[in-house]
Amino acid sequence: MRVEYINPFVDAAIQILSSTVSKDISRGQISLRSSITPMMGVVIIVGLAGQVSGRIIIDMDRETALKIASAMNNETLVEFDELTTATLTELANMITGKAVTRLHELGFQFDLTPPALFTGEKIQISDNKIEALVVPIEIPQGKIEINVGIKEE
Amino acid sequence: MKATSDFPNLNQKPADGLKEDGTPYKVLIVDDSIFVKKQLTQILQSEQFQVIDEASDGEEAIEKYKEHFPNVDLVTMDITMPKMDGITALEKIIEFDKNAKVIMISALGKQELVKKSLLLGAKNYIVKPLDRKKVLERIVMILKR
Repeated sequence: MRVEYINPFVDAAIQILSSTVSKDISRGQISLRSSITPMMGVVIIVGLAGQVSGRIIIDMDRETALKIASAMNNETLVEFDELTTATLTELANMITGKAVTRLHELGFQFDLTPPALFTGEKIQISDNKIEALVVPIEIPQGKIEINVGIKEE
Repeated sequence: MKATSDFPNLNQKPADGLKEDGTPYKVLIVDDSIFVKKQLTQILQSEQFQVIDEASDGEEAIEKYKEHFPNVDLVTMDITMPKMDGITALEKIIEFDKNAKVIMISALGKQELVKKSLLLGAKNYIVKPLDRKKVLERIVMILKR
């Protein structure tokens, strides 16, 4: 998988998180993920189709997710209710929307599926046909991982 | 002794959401996300716009527009929605009322979508995340032109 594919997603995540959650933001080192990956507890998956196929996974733990949703709503959210999930889904929407717009400007035609949000303990994602690159992002609310797995058609 | 607060504030501007006659502009919000609907409602209501109704997909948007017509001053329209997307809904609303004022609000900023919406009759296009000042400026530009 080309590393150029992951940068628009990480850049978009940083821009969106910076304007909606916290300007105190930093990105960590990129790493390759093995085919079975444990998730932190709150997983948002957006599918990609078109010239490429694959998925973007935004992964964070429950506490971080609630803090992010709270910051975006300017109120303290303590449960995974409709508003919390709608907020996190919209976060994923904005990140992937921005990234796909950028990729489009670079000449890539990607289509996105609506985000799907999963919560649970000990979630594992396995996709052995796709190579995934992961970049962690740190904000005061916690760590978020942007996991991009793309296969060219 | 009089304090500054006792004097009328000559610099206070009237709320963006009020027409010259003091009645509020009526807005229909269309988006499938309750978070976005909440954000937009808060922004609009803070300037005294009246949110008369909301819709969660393109089909519902058309139904509600026709139901409230001619008492809809503005529609805010998301693009990616189930059942019917915002561009198709925009097209059908303009077909029904060529003077409809629709502003697109989307997470997607692709030039082709912006162009298509404007050609179909949308008055403006806002890319999320929503910036309160920008949203209000663009809406005021459309309504008070």
